[in-house]
Amino acid sequence: MIKLVNVCKSYFLGDEEVKAVCNINLEIKDKDYIGILGTSGSGKSTLMYLIGLLEQPTSGKVILEGKDVSKLSDTDLSKIRNKTVGFVFQQFNLINRFTVLENVLLPTKYSKRDLDFDPIKRADELLTHFGIFDRRNFFPNKISGGQQQRVAIARALIMKPKVILADEPTGNLDSKTGDEIIKLLSSLNKELGVTVIIVTHEKEIAKKTKRRIYIKDGKIVEKYL
Amino acid sequence: MKIQNGWHLVKAALEGFKRNKVRSLLTSLGIMIGVLSVVLLIALGLGLKNYLRQQFESLGANLVIIFPGNISSSEEGGGIANFGPGFAGGADFDEKDYLSLTRISEADYVVPLFMKSSVIESETERKFGYFMGTNEQAFKILNLETLEGKFFTKSDLTARTKVAVLGQNLADGLYEDSKDAVGKTIRVGEQRFKVIGVAKKKGDREQDNGVITPYKTSFGTLNSGKTFFTIYLGTTDEKSIEVIKRRAEEILLKRYKKGDFTVTEQTEILSTVNQIFSIVNAILVAIGSISLLVGGIGIMNIMYATVTERTKEVGIRRAVGATQWDILKQFLTESVLLSIFGGSLGLIIASLIVLIVRRFFPVSLNLLAVFIAIAVSSGIGIFFGVFPARRAAKLPPIEAIRYE
Ligand SMILES: Nc1ncnc2c1ncn2[C@@H]1O[C@H](COP(=O)(O)OP(=O)(O)O)[C@@H](O)[C@H]1O
Ligand SMILES: [Mg+2]
Repeated sequence: MIKLVNVCKSYFLGDEEVKAVCNINLEIKDKDYIGILGTSGSGKSTLMYLIGLLEQPTSGKVILEGKDVSKLSDTDLSKIRNKTVGFVFQQFNLINRFTVLENVLLPTKYSKRDLDFDPIKRADELLTHFGIFDRRNFFPNKISGGQQQRVAIARALIMKPKVILADEPTGNLDSKTGDEIIKLLSSLNKELGVTVIIVTHEKEIAKKTKRRIYIKDGKIVEKYL
Repeated sequence: MKIQNGWHLVKAALEGFKRNKVRSLLTSLGIMIGVLSVVLLIALGLGLKNYLRQQFESLGANLVIIFPGNISSSEEGGGIANFGPGFAGGADFDEKDYLSLTRISEADYVVPLFMKSSVIESETERKFGYFMGTNEQAFKILNLETLEGKFFTKSDLTARTKVAVLGQNLADGLYEDSKDAVGKTIRVGEQRFKVIGVAKKKGDREQDNGVITPYKTSFGTLNSGKTFFTIYLGTTDEKSIEVIKRRAEEILLKRYKKGDFTVTEQTEILSTVNQIFSIVNAILVAIGSISLLVGGIGIMNIMYATVTERTKEVGIRRAVGATQWDILKQFLTESVLLSIFGGSLGLIIASLIVLIVRRFFPVSLNLLAVFIAIAVSSGIGIFFGVFPARRAAKLPPIEAIRYE
């Protein structure tokens, strides 16, 4: 589905080049369940943004279903993110001035095609499924971290994406709540067949995935040290 | 789908304002004041125009007006300062001029007018009014109608009878009922007149407070110089105006120098006055525009702050599929709505003020002013909103999402 070929991403701080990731070769297939494991600053988030088309590589190619995405316009990339990718972040990244329901509905506002579902009905179903339907009219800062992360997952799922990208989704949660979130993500892969990629620095979490990729200093390595 | 999308933007922006009421109100204040002043100034300008038109329309149509001095000429350095009889010096028209002008066959009416303000006395009251000496055709060209009694005739003029027609306001002031005036005797200076008629009110200050008498009667006493301040030439045929003007000038040039008198028509005076008011108006509107500009900068300032405040939100929206254009629209909608809100508030307040002032002065609002108010405020919203909105749209998604 998504292929990275010799991908490098550098940031420039003045004249200084910071190579966040480099020489990444990676193929992600339909229904994959991948853990990306690495220490802090190793380039995990950067890699995830590249896979999710939020960032364009400095060199190399990102190929989505056979097409080189560097040739796509901002509008095309936004449309693909909207339709096929769902992001889940460590800091939840909900919009605090919107209610839970409004946050879940946000991606549907950017759908230029006609939706094949009723957005509110689907949002309610997801919230019910995640056990937070009674919080649908709350503002994010009035619910617990675990609940916020469920809202974020519901938002990631509302457009029926092909892939969920979760960047340290348990980083701000206690271990019990974290486990529940990981279970939830696993079930999405098992039951719905969604490709799930979990970025983490915890081996225990990565163990739950079907396949693991180790990253160190921006490069994929054979074994996590 | 498109409309739904637009509505979503408006709704989201409005919800934002609801959560930030004070700030939104303060932000739109500048635009409000700007629109308020521009609309009021337009209303005032229109009011002045209406007022002047009313003044001129109280004269019948198709009039050539002759008076001493010079209003139109720049070469004489005359200008508006010399406008009006008595100010300019120049020619003193007399009966001879009047009689020569009556020889212009195209003029259906030739009316000389002497006028001065005087104290008018009845047996019991003293009132301030305007004494006028003229001929019987004056009633025709001034469009006067009798309320009571009758107007004087040509034979009253030749016989120098001591009769007068009162304006309704003056008659009201001098007698209990304006209709009582007929048959009574009034005194102007040392001269007594018998009131034979009262003219219906017209809204013209001088005519409504006038004592209209045959001019020959006033010669020697109230009009000791036997002069006229104005001579009106009237025609029922608009096409004769030019001929009448030319012939009147020829006749007067035999006795007076060019520049000692003005031959003009009422529409010309109107357009001169209009010109002056449009200049004044333009200056006032320019002043109003400055407050609009300041208001616009206020909006821009707040929108920049809003963009910074919502950097992370922009990142989130971009991650879930918002295009740069979507982000631009979102912020632009906010600034335009703020601006239109301020504009509408200004328009409403201006309308209220116009409604109140209207009782004293014929100010008026027209569709143009309303249109300008709305167009200008949305224009300002777009113009000053586009820079902050562009900044938001151009934010790199990753940096925005990492922003704390
Ligand atoms: N916008 C940026 N500008 C400069 N350097 C950056 C930027 N984003 C990330 N980096 C650098 O890139 C490297 C990888 O960062 P990141 O992908 O966030 O790592 P991880 O998610 O594994 O902690 C780090 O050294 C980080 O400092
Ligand atoms: Mg990271």
